[in-house]
Amino acid sequence: MSAVSHAAAQAALAGVHACTPAHLGDWRNLLAVIWDFLSLSLFSLGGGNTLLSEYHLLAVDKYCWLSSRQFADIYAIAEAAPGPSSMIVGLLGMAAAVKEGPLWGVISGLAAEVAILLPSTLVMVAASLSWSRLRDSPWRVAFERALGPITLGILFAVGLKILRISDHDTPAYAVSAVVCVLMLRTRISPLWFMAVAGLLGGLGLINR
Amino acid sequence: MAAEISTAQPGQPGPDPSLRELFMGMQQVALSSFGGGLSAWSQRIVVEERQWLDNEAFITGLTVARLFPGPNQINMAVYIGSRFHGLRGALVALAGMLLLPFSVLMLLGLAYFELHMVMAVDRVLAGVITASAGMALSMGFKLAGGYGRDPVAVLLALGSFLAMSVFHVRLIPLVLIAGPLAMAWYWPRSR
Repeated sequence: MSAVSHAAAQAALAGVHACTPAHLGDWRNLLAVIWDFLSLSLFSLGGGNTLLSEYHLLAVDKYCWLSSRQFADIYAIAEAAPGPSSMIVGLLGMAAAVKEGPLWGVISGLAAEVAILLPSTLVMVAASLSWSRLRDSPWRVAFERALGPITLGILFAVGLKILRISDHDTPAYAVSAVVCVLMLRTRISPLWFMAVAGLLGGLGLINR
Repeated sequence: MAAEISTAQPGQPGPDPSLRELFMGMQQVALSSFGGGLSAWSQRIVVEERQWLDNEAFITGLTVARLFPGPNQINMAVYIGSRFHGLRGALVALAGMLLLPFSVLMLLGLAYFELHMVMAVDRVLAGVITASAGMALSMGFKLAGGYGRDPVAVLLALGSFLAMSVFHVRLIPLVLIAGPLAMAWYWPRSR
């Protein structure tokens, strides 16, 4: 928190946007970035979606790899692409280094994905192998019941944040609201919603 | 997603898969589920076709995958892999599940970063992001149903939401403070 608010305060004092992209060629920056993703891994609750706000803070506010608008684009691409949408981390890693060339972009994307998955994978292996003992443990019961509502609150906050960075006018909010209701009430594949909304955008009916 | 999982057939587990079979099986799951429904496909392939797990073990896996940190589908692959070959199996299953989707995503990402100045692409994306924002908004509502009757849970959810949205508390301190307090409250009491 301190680094971000400090940078923001400096920017306010200087009267300019003080955020300059962190250069990953400096190994200290690289280690800091890897550490950020490693340490977030175990807070990836609710199927990973609780991390989206943190991703935005890191990639947009702290390291300046992306503009807020690009972040919204990348989130949509990760949702539309096949496979788990949590792979958005790979795109954040790519954004950090793609200016150095496509190969560096891919390497950095892979590194970010490995960093975000490694700790949770190790915990999951341990949990899978000892589940018969864990299942009836009071720790498991308390953990499950306690983290459920907290995750719920965080997911609402994350949803609101994504809404704010994606939508800027009434038609956009209307489309988001309709999609939200349809997601809850029907079993239509989300790909259709994105296809239709993309068409509306292409026709110029939704603007940024 | 739980509704997609059939609980009808008990299924008979066959012989344990080799590392190679694990990789191929997870890749088949990833390929089949292009367009969604990953857990339904993974059940069809892992339980019904390849018979690595019986249905009960599969459902247990889903429970563990949802409970622990990490993306659910990825955790499920880790559960299946580690059950047969420990950490090595987990990594092989992960690689099988992620190799193709991640490659596709990297290509899309490169296309985006190289082509984002193209006007038409930008206009289409301007529409697509409104749909994905609606999907993001639906995540909370999807889970909200179960908690209405527990006032403490409602308070916890509301508190976490306000802490993050209004007071800009970061995720890690929020979970580290609210988590233990809530765990103390929900600690099972034996009478």
